[in-house]
Amino acid sequence: MPAELEQTLSMLSAHRSVLGYILLSRGEQVSIIRHSGVVFEGDQGKKYAAVIRRIVESVQTGLEEDSIRFMRIRTKRHELMISPDQRYLLAVLHDPAI
Amino acid sequence: MAERRRAEIEAKKAKLEALRKARADRQRAENERRQTEVPSASVAARREVDDLVNSLVGSRGLDSGGDVTPSSSMPGTPPRQSALFYGTSALSPSGRVSRQSDVGSDRISMGTTMIATANSGTEHVIERTLTPRFVPDLIDVEQELFELPQRERVIYNKEVQTTAVEVETAEISIEDIRQQLQRERERELEADRTVREKELEEESIQLDKEIEQEIRELSEEERTSILIAPEFLDFVEQSSKIVQRALNDGYDYIRDYTVGTETNGQVLFHLPDDSEGKRVKRICAFYDERYGKNRSITDIDWSPKYPELSVASYNKNPAALNEPDGIVAVWNLHLLERPEFVFHSQSDVLSVTCSPFHSNLVFGGTYSGQILLWDTRSKHLPVLKTPLSAAGHTHPVYAMRMVGTQNAHNLITSSTDGTVCSWLVDMLAQPQETLELIHAGHNKTGEVAITTLDFPDNETTTFWVGTEEGNVYQANRYDRAGAKAGLNQHDIYKGHAGPVMGLHFHPLVGPVDFSDLFLTASVDWTVKLWRAKSLAKPSTTAQTIPPIYSFDEADDYVYDAKWHPAHPAVFGTANGSGKFELWNLNNDTEVSAVTTNVGTGRAINKLEWDRKDGRRVALGCSDGKLYIYDIGDIAIPRESEWTDLQKTIAGMVSNSSQTNGVVDGDATRIIAGR
Repeated sequence: MPAELEQTLSMLSAHRSVLGYILLSRGEQVSIIRHSGVVFEGDQGKKYAAVIRRIVESVQTGLEEDSIRFMRIRTKRHELMISPDQRYLLAVLHDPAI
Repeated sequence: MAERRRAEIEAKKAKLEALRKARADRQRAENERRQTEVPSASVAARREVDDLVNSLVGSRGLDSGGDVTPSSSMPGTPPRQSALFYGTSALSPSGRVSRQSDVGSDRISMGTTMIATANSGTEHVIERTLTPRFVPDLIDVEQELFELPQRERVIYNKEVQTTAVEVETAEISIEDIRQQLQRERERELEADRTVREKELEEESIQLDKEIEQEIRELSEEERTSILIAPEFLDFVEQSSKIVQRALNDGYDYIRDYTVGTETNGQVLFHLPDDSEGKRVKRICAFYDERYGKNRSITDIDWSPKYPELSVASYNKNPAALNEPDGIVAVWNLHLLERPEFVFHSQSDVLSVTCSPFHSNLVFGGTYSGQILLWDTRSKHLPVLKTPLSAAGHTHPVYAMRMVGTQNAHNLITSSTDGTVCSWLVDMLAQPQETLELIHAGHNKTGEVAITTLDFPDNETTTFWVGTEEGNVYQANRYDRAGAKAGLNQHDIYKGHAGPVMGLHFHPLVGPVDFSDLFLTASVDWTVKLWRAKSLAKPSTTAQTIPPIYSFDEADDYVYDAKWHPAHPAVFGTANGSGKFELWNLNNDTEVSAVTTNVGTGRAINKLEWDRKDGRRVALGCSDGKLYIYDIGDIAIPRESEWTDLQKTIAGMVSNSSQTNGVVDGDATRIIAGR
């Protein structure tokens, strides 16, 4: 794991309001590349991954020529920021109230 | 989880099977029931009739069915026969019935003991009802009669072969309706069942799909291969930057202002403070652990296109030998944790400029004399470099300026050996022109060690340089009427006792033109204000030009002084003890308006006002941190500032001219003595 990558990701999760991040690979089979934070552990993380994948896909089908660049889903308690790419997807969960 | 789903599906399938079986069973049971239902219906009907008859006729006890029944089906029996026949003939209407069930015939036989007066079968029923009951006396008469052989009676058993149609009509219709209802119910049930089956099938298909879609765990090699892929690294860089910028936002946009919180006691707004206008606030400090540690900032610039971007150049980190010697970092005000871009260089970068004509180009001058060009679209390394040859610079390049217009612009660079080169942006292989600034009258060597360089606004061919010995000279790029290319030997701006660290011309903004004023900052703890000699009258004899004014308040080396881009009378200075001083000449020329201690007391190397309106100032410290300060309202000039400044300058000039005579004389004597 390249050092820069490590550093970038650890800086991301060290932010005071960030609860965790998850890196997914898109494509036929969605798989979790890396995750951090209690929120994305184990089964819950898999559920999040499935949900995120479905959300992104359903939004993408709604857009015709456009493509999703960034998505921020603000729920009452948290905010989920999703940054999709052709091949990968980064989702970060943070609590904006902190 | 897959197993669980599969188990669910299995369970569902089993349930489906069970339902199907249940349905089949039920159908079978229904068929059976149907078969038994007719008899039961007919039995019930029979009972009704029996009751009716009994109530009319009376019960005589059950005769053995065997005596009666054989003859019962004989209609029209000869009257000679005993009353038995009557009885039997009376039975005839009911004989039919007895054919169907023995039970019924037994009952009916009770009624046969009645003596009927008429023979006709049909009348018997009626007569039965009319004649009163009485018990006849039976006389045993034995006569030999021709005995008729007993006809064999074939009795039909319980097994029903006829349909319900044979039952009496009233009951038939009830039966029909009932059966129809039954059938409809069954059909509904069938329909329900098929629908349910379909749903189950769909669900199992869906579950199968979900199983396929389920998040797969990556194997180790797959994971490592992904983590090394360069596009993955790019993706992580980019998306993490975006996420961090979004995280830095800080404002919770779903905040509900109607909800009162308990912590209302804390006042969320503060009363306008008079001193606020005077104070200078720190916005942020850009520092990267990896790239800023043990390094000092050597130069700063703001991006002309994106006001939130600033560029800082760093020198060498003596502790880290593997890291590149020179770093240039582009910082974004919206992304505080890390630089937007980082550029590497093989030697310390001493000066940096953003190209005003291309928003993604950054130039850097290095300790080795190379000029490097980086592009934000590329990666760390420079896209263009000047060669390390005698054509360019071979000494550290401390000053750089971009002059010209969009179509015709040049990069002017100067190094400490007195070489000033002019470069074309896309052709860094060799300089467009080289200028060697030589001062012939110098006591030791001819060369002029340039530390800083500046062009007045709107000038592209003549510039002023500050040197290590403390003098400021004017130089021309080209020959012009009355002046040669190169250093202007005659005019010496003498005043500083140490190397000049910063030189800045007044920006051309506003109704009054002060663009011939320039500030110099020097290691001799002073900042001096000068008026540049007009080029219209080139001097032929050596002349020293004294400063108009000297600001002596500092208590350490002053490393930089810069005019404010919007306010004519404001300028800032940065000194070696970490103080940032803000001066307003219209208010006070002796004392600075605001003095702020920046950082931990380390020296501030460079100062740069932001290009837009000058509200922010970037200060580069020798601890590798780039501080951004907001000066608030001081930056806003009033209408009268320009005229006020004119008066102030006039006042300064007149004051200094009183002392000028002595200085001039000294200077000329010194020069003459060489």
